Amino acid sequence: MNRHSRSRRAVGIAVASALAVAVSGCGGDDAGRSGDAAEGAPSPGITDTTVSLGITTPLSGSTAGPGTCTVAGVTAYFGAKNAEGGIEFGDGKTRTVEIQALDDGYDPQKAKANYDQLKGDVFAMTAGLGTPTNRAWRDAAIADEVPQALIMTGDPIFSDTGESPWQLGFVPIYQNEGQAFGELLASSGQDLKVAILSQNDDYGDGYVEGFKSAVEGADNIAIVDELTYEATDTSVDAQITQLAASGADVIFNAMSLVPLVVSALQKAQQLNWKPSWFLPSNTSSPGAVLEPGGAAAFPGIYSVAFAKAPASPAFAQDEDVVAYLAALKQYGNYPDPPAFPHCQWSWMVGATLEQAFQNMGEPTRDSFMEALRNIEGFQAPLMLPGTSVDTTQDGQPAVSSVVVQKYNGRGYDTVETFE
Amino acid sequence: MATSSTSSASTNSASTNSGSTNSSSAGRAASLWQRPWVRAAGWLLLLAVLVVLPLVMTEFVNQTLARIGVFSVAVLGLNVVMGYAGQVSLGQIFFLGVGAYVTAYGVSQEWNIVLVFVLACLLPAVAGLVVALAAARLGGLAIAMVTIALPIVGVPLAKRLSDYTGGSQGLSALFVEAPEGSGLYDDQWQLYVVLVIGGIVFLLTRNLVRGRYGRAFAIVKGNENVASSMGISPYRYKVLAFTVASLIGGVSGFLYMVVIQYTSPETMSFGHSIQLLAAMVIGGAASIVGSILGGAFYVLVPQLTNQVDASVTTLLQGVILLVVLFVLPGGLASLPRALTRGRRRSGAERGSAAPPTTPSSTPGSGTAAEEPETERQGHA
Repeated sequence: MNRHSRSRRAVGIAVASALAVAVSGCGGDDAGRSGDAAEGAPSPGITDTTVSLGITTPLSGSTAGPGTCTVAGVTAYFGAKNAEGGIEFGDGKTRTVEIQALDDGYDPQKAKANYDQLKGDVFAMTAGLGTPTNRAWRDAAIADEVPQALIMTGDPIFSDTGESPWQLGFVPIYQNEGQAFGELLASSGQDLKVAILSQNDDYGDGYVEGFKSAVEGADNIAIVDELTYEATDTSVDAQITQLAASGADVIFNAMSLVPLVVSALQKAQQLNWKPSWFLPSNTSSPGAVLEPGGAAAFPGIYSVAFAKAPASPAFAQDEDVVAYLAALKQYGNYPDPPAFPHCQWSWMVGATLEQAFQNMGEPTRDSFMEALRNIEGFQAPLMLPGTSVDTTQDGQPAVSSVVVQKYNGRGYDTVETFE
Repeated sequence: MATSSTSSASTNSASTNSGSTNSSSAGRAASLWQRPWVRAAGWLLLLAVLVVLPLVMTEFVNQTLARIGVFSVAVLGLNVVMGYAGQVSLGQIFFLGVGAYVTAYGVSQEWNIVLVFVLACLLPAVAGLVVALAAARLGGLAIAMVTIALPIVGVPLAKRLSDYTGGSQGLSALFVEAPEGSGLYDDQWQLYVVLVIGGIVFLLTRNLVRGRYGRAFAIVKGNENVASSMGISPYRYKVLAFTVASLIGGVSGFLYMVVIQYTSPETMSFGHSIQLLAAMVIGGAASIVGSILGGAFYVLVPQLTNQVDASVTTLLQGVILLVVLFVLPGGLASLPRALTRGRRRSGAERGSAAPPTTPSSTPGSGTAAEEPETERQGHA
């Protein structure tokens, strides 16, 4: 019996050590410490025929929808490119692109764990969604000199070259969106009274800051009232009632929560207050927000965009859109029509990365970051006319140009002037 | 407390009835373990492994081990209040968050790191004490209801107090770097810090729950009326257990900042509290080893499921959780016990070992009275 138990223990030890080997196998066989590589030697994750990219993004939980899109778009883009034979890099070699995506569930701790796991294997991290989940490993990425390129967050810190030398945000920061609408109003020549309602955090503050900077010197714009609400509030009826009393012609509504936007639109109609609205890009969906909110009652609903909406009839025959939808289905593991703009953005991330790859002279992370920061006036596929990728401006994300659009009852049309 | 030793034995065997059934067979291994030199050698071996491990492992393994350490401590705190004292707490992540925020703020203000550590322990403990003073008065599941509120309040609070917490953008703090000249990498140094602080917390907690307080917790868990009749105030011990749990939560928050170096309102999200609770149940309630296994579960299962298929991680985690609960209702810590039971059962089928299989569910059997430690702990 004693021998029996000993053999059982031996089995136990064998299982345990097998587990340990399996776990350590995930980390790669070298110790993976940063800063060991010699100058000019290829960085991890790149060979003469392949380059691998890592993504940590929410694939489960409440942000799984947009998170899945951030993987699908870029995977589809490089899937299609790989099928054509790969991408010719600046050093003359043609490489295929592999993507390793891990789920962080919008948990910063898991995002950091995913980064730790990937950093030894991948050439660069990219496309991940979320402010806290990207911030969680920003310092580590700087210390390890791993590119955190073209990530999906409106947080300006990632676009500040001084603070974030190895980072670059992709999507417009909150200020860009507010500013675009402010400029439209300022250039309209009409005397307008504006009411502002914003979320009391960095999101709302960013929009308002951008808007105010654009209308600062404009004599025709008067901000008549300015209120905030908390992201945890369940109703903004009181704020809408007070703003309605101000008699404003335009309401600048920097709100990130879909149900609150719907109820705000409805409340204003109950009060028979019919201003024009500005809504942020992420809470202006025709199907989810404007129709339930009865937006047709208002003279105008404005929002901003930089990507073509594939669902829009105007783009149904568009060359970019057709290629994109086909690749998304075939290579992106995303059979349904994209429900979130993040799919389109992620596709553009792929195109922007390709630009950087084509211009990097050496297979190193340094060379990649240099090439990445030198893209100017690049019209990525799916981009709306009037917008482009420009990575050369410090303090700005890769896409800082947006166009203002107006709701036409079904979708959005780009507008040049405020009516 | 004169009567406590016999009464603890009875509550133990009542609460963990699987323990007394196999005490005789487990006794064989235990008797070897009882010999002082075996025990000392075992601990020395463990210590040596823990000292050497960070030096030979890859960076990623070290970081993973450090993360397991962080969440083991958090689960340990939860175990004190839930596993040992029987009070359902759904707010453990809040205390971890408070500890992390205090640490991040203290580091950003360049306070002395010892002061930061003390504050990261004390502030959550005080918060826990205040909550427990009110919640424990309500009795029963009310403490669970009140603790649900903590992470729900914590997230918006962290966003609102943006002058101290950095709002929804959170706080970064890189403060544990390997000292110059030590020749260590940061990940090795961080793992050592986690091992030392976590090890001390585990030792102190082990002493707490095996001593007079642990017996009192067990009686309060078993039957509050019995506890009262013996002069043990359920209220006082519930408050004490909750406060200790909050303090340990604060320590885990400090370690969280050591390892992850970033905290945001997402850290405190309610879902993580439920995951911690699941980790505790899966590791093994009222078990020191179970806390470590729970921490390992919390960290490794998401990594494992990510390797399998990143798009269905939550589904796979749910499947693993259910499988563990079906196969090992006592948690992973009961695995050795389940194995010995299985072996004995197969022996009984051959008709060789019938007598020991008879379960002695009578409270206060001789072995249980002598071995309250192994009863409750398994073989740590």
